[in-house]
Amino acid sequence: MSIAEAEASQLAVEQPSGLWSDAWRRVRRNPAAWVGAGLLLFFVICAVFAPVIAPYGPQESVGSLAAVPPGPSAEYPFGLDEQGRDVLSRIIYGARLSLLVGVVSVAIGLSLGMVLGAISGYFGGRVDGVIMRFMDLMLSIPGFLLAIGLVTLLGRGLFQIMFAIGITTVPIFARLLRGSILAQREADYVLAARSVGTPGLRLLTVHILPNSIAPVIVQATLAMATAIIDVAGLSFLGLGPNDPGLPEWGKFLAENASRLQNSAHLVFFPGFAVVFSVLAFNLIGDALREAIDPKLRA
Amino acid sequence: MPLLEVRDLAVRFSTRGKTVYAVNGISFDLDPGDTLGIVGESGCGKSVSSLAMLGILPKPAGRVSGGQVTFDGEDLLTLPDERLRHIRGNDIAMVFQDPMTSLNPVLTVGRQLTEALRTHLDMDKKEAAAEAGSLLDRVGIPDARQRLRDYPHQFSGGMRQRVGIAMAISCQPKVLIADEPTTALDVTIQAQILELLRTLVREEGMALILVTHDLGVVAGVCARTHVMYAGRFVETAPTAELFANPKHPYTVGLLKSVPRLDAVRKQRLDPIGGAPRDQTSEPTACAFAPRCAYATSESWEQLPVLRELDGATGAAAHRVACWNPVPERDLVAAGIRRPPAEGQSSAGLGEERPA
Repeated sequence: MSIAEAEASQLAVEQPSGLWSDAWRRVRRNPAAWVGAGLLLFFVICAVFAPVIAPYGPQESVGSLAAVPPGPSAEYPFGLDEQGRDVLSRIIYGARLSLLVGVVSVAIGLSLGMVLGAISGYFGGRVDGVIMRFMDLMLSIPGFLLAIGLVTLLGRGLFQIMFAIGITTVPIFARLLRGSILAQREADYVLAARSVGTPGLRLLTVHILPNSIAPVIVQATLAMATAIIDVAGLSFLGLGPNDPGLPEWGKFLAENASRLQNSAHLVFFPGFAVVFSVLAFNLIGDALREAIDPKLRA
Repeated sequence: MPLLEVRDLAVRFSTRGKTVYAVNGISFDLDPGDTLGIVGESGCGKSVSSLAMLGILPKPAGRVSGGQVTFDGEDLLTLPDERLRHIRGNDIAMVFQDPMTSLNPVLTVGRQLTEALRTHLDMDKKEAAAEAGSLLDRVGIPDARQRLRDYPHQFSGGMRQRVGIAMAISCQPKVLIADEPTTALDVTIQAQILELLRTLVREEGMALILVTHDLGVVAGVCARTHVMYAGRFVETAPTAELFANPKHPYTVGLLKSVPRLDAVRKQRLDPIGGAPRDQTSEPTACAFAPRCAYATSESWEQLPVLRELDGATGAAAHRVACWNPVPERDLVAAGIRRPPAEGQSSAGLGEERPA
């Protein structure tokens, strides 16, 4: 192989091979994405390896009951709570819950929203009208309020809460995908596929969906951040998971809000946990958006 | 019976109470091996006609409002969707105008090429891939087998159009509709693509309908040419005859607005004045009358239909839909015909065409 040939094959390897690898290259060049990914990785590790990482169990009392629990010390870096439990350990275990809620509720909202959006965008006409008016109806109720209503209705089980939060994201995904499909439906390549006799369902799943899904994926990342905030918010309002032992960050905040004056660490650390996990998803979501947005593409 | 028989095809677009009369009754026959050109300016209904024949008009706005399209004895316009889908790609296929947008950006070229093969010919993955490779080879793409795994954006415009053609001919259709296949390409690539189409028609015995606004393109490829204006055919003739002896003022106008290498260089290009007809009403008189120097009161009142000229019939027939065909002396004055003294050997553009 001559040098020119070797160089040529090298060039070919570096050639982007499609929308996604193109986007991936752009994401990798974005420092914010690296920060977000790093943070997320940190939380994921905490969640997965909680029993290994956390010095104590989430319910384990290592100190004594105290009206004013001791703050951070060398032994307990995040301090203890009023029942003598290690705050650091509870926050580490809490990561499991927050990530679970984020992923599951978005999965629920995403799947329902995508099915509705795809039907709406692809078939159009009356079906589209009915589905979209219903989505408008849902959007007219503030999402968090809707979640509160649903939780009150369904009960305070962990799954019910995830379901309620998921439902509030359905109209967002549905509308986004519908718009995106509408833009692609009459595209030339769809016409070309129709002209060789591609059946309708394949047209939607093989041709239109993969070309329309980018904005939905961006939104899904951002929705995870919202879901984490929502579950913390629900807990804060006393509508969190009814199992009192669950180390949920929002519930932690709610229980200790009154101690802000003398035991600030009980509020700060779970607060930071919420902030940084949300930040992680937002940074990743924004980076993805920048990478995929056609207006920013050369 | 011809392979494809189009009779009085009419297409309307309706949106918000407004109706656009895009195609107002066109008729033609196509036999195996025929090469037919449809020429006209933007918006005259030439692309819409081809979409209508395949049943892929944009819905719900577009609809066929009349006529028949008979292929192999079946009326395509009344066939159930499933049967029509089977004919698309398998019997009638289409090449699109813009190769930059007519390939799916997220699928490999191989995947797109095998689509029709697997749908229509029931090939398994391996067979289809092998066939796709030889198709790419057939349309002149080097390293065909390797390139199956590439994505459309890794091909140049001309190469993409070759892929588009490969896709269209993958099931060896009997009719190939090429809708402005070279408009988005530069001139040298244009010539290559046209040569490819010519070869395919010759070797596969396909019938070709070439839709274009470029007279030069039909001159090189098509045996017969229809000139379309405002959704109707205004003149139809064997291509050489059309270039040598145009009768409709619109055809003459088109010829005068094309630079000619063989013309005496004496004047500027002469564009057709005015704007294309507003298609929101059905034409009841000659649609070209407002832009026509030959228009008489008859033109403004009655719709001219295609009439045969000089008794030539069948393949040689020259028909024109005009009340006042352009007289010979004006063709000479326009430089389209040489003065009679020099004989009849004129018309540079129409000369070389396949027998």
